[in-house]
Amino acid sequence: MDALNLEVLTPSGPIFNGPVMSVTVPGEEGEFGVLAGHVALTTLLKAGVVDVVKEDGKKESIVVNWGVIQVANGKVIVLVDGAVAIRGDSESGIALALEEAKSLISGIADSHAMIASVSARLESAAHSYSH
Amino acid sequence: MANLKEIQRQIKSVSNTQKTTRAMKLVSTAKLRRAEELAKRSRLFAQKTNQVIAEIASRIHCNKVGGIESRCFIQNDAPKTIDIIFVTADKGLCGGFNMQTIKAVRRLIAEYKNKNVSIRIRGIGKKGIEYFNFNQVELLDAVKNLSSAPDMQRSSEFMTRSIKDFNDGIVDAVYLVYNGYKNMITQELHVKRLLPVMIEDFDCEKANNNVLEFEAFDEEKMLDSLMIKYAEYNMYYALIDSVAAEHSARMQAMDAATTNAKQMVKSLNVKFNKARQEAITTELIEIISGVESMK
Repeated sequence: MDALNLEVLTPSGPIFNGPVMSVTVPGEEGEFGVLAGHVALTTLLKAGVVDVVKEDGKKESIVVNWGVIQVANGKVIVLVDGAVAIRGDSESGIALALEEAKSLISGIADSHAMIASVSARLESAAHSYSH
Repeated sequence: MANLKEIQRQIKSVSNTQKTTRAMKLVSTAKLRRAEELAKRSRLFAQKTNQVIAEIASRIHCNKVGGIESRCFIQNDAPKTIDIIFVTADKGLCGGFNMQTIKAVRRLIAEYKNKNVSIRIRGIGKKGIEYFNFNQVELLDAVKNLSSAPDMQRSSEFMTRSIKDFNDGIVDAVYLVYNGYKNMITQELHVKRLLPVMIEDFDCEKANNNVLEFEAFDEEKMLDSLMIKYAEYNMYYALIDSVAAEHSARMQAMDAATTNAKQMVKSLNVKFNKARQEAITTELIEIISGVESMK
């Protein structure tokens, strides 16, 4: 399967830039996934988790609080306001990123259900990384 | 002898000042490097945002009957009320850095007063706020401690008010004045109109050739939400740019101060040596004349 190039940009700098196999984003109208060969598309994102599957099959999650995604010619550009990448080699690193991500989400999300669902997804994602 | 001591005291004082200014210069150099790096990384975001906005705006402009309805894009040649937002530093000792911004703001105020436009001023940065307070110019908003430590969230909160007033029709244009970074030795004053956005020619051919699909909801809604972020981001970028410029200005000012202090120590040293020699000569003459009189 071909790879796509994903760029996640925040006002304070890029937080992801590189080839990925697939990316799943929380669109305004619902979650959707992007694979290579996706039709050109521009849409808004709401607060949630962007799941990335890298070329080597490893997964990474990025928590965003708002965003715009543009898919064109095998390139995916995600412009976000605030974002925290859940990565890190040690458990403490992941735990730290988790805390940061939760505070980012609780700062903007308007419903408790949403905060809870994002938190739960994060916990499970973090759990899978640490094993 | 009193004179000698006095000069010695002066030399010590000036060289102490020199130490301080040199340290300040070094601190500014380090901070400048960091600010520069931040601005560089941030520019990528700006490029892509502008690109996306231009694409969507062109599409709407070209395909929709009546063009764009969003207030953010309608050019208004005769505004009734405008917002002027200025950014200065929180601290002084950076040459004419703050004064340049203040002067530009005053020019802008004078220009629009002539046109009978009512002006609301919103300020960021202690120095500018103090100046306008002292001159009894009313400020709608005054935010301190933001320009020395730019923060996306705080700058967004600040900007939200202008955006809201603009969308509600209370203000017709929002201007941003700040002193930005050009290179290590020069700053560049920016007077920018944030809203309504200036869009260069709409590229219809390109817009129609691009197969862009939008998700089900309204394109304009998306543009609106993007515009808010755009304005907020521009505010944030102005802060970063201003902080970089502030450090470069301070670096220069402190460098000049260090050089001046060095020169002053030099001339004081000459003065000190002359005074010392004079004292020795006088003493010698006294001794010799004493000896002579005893003969």
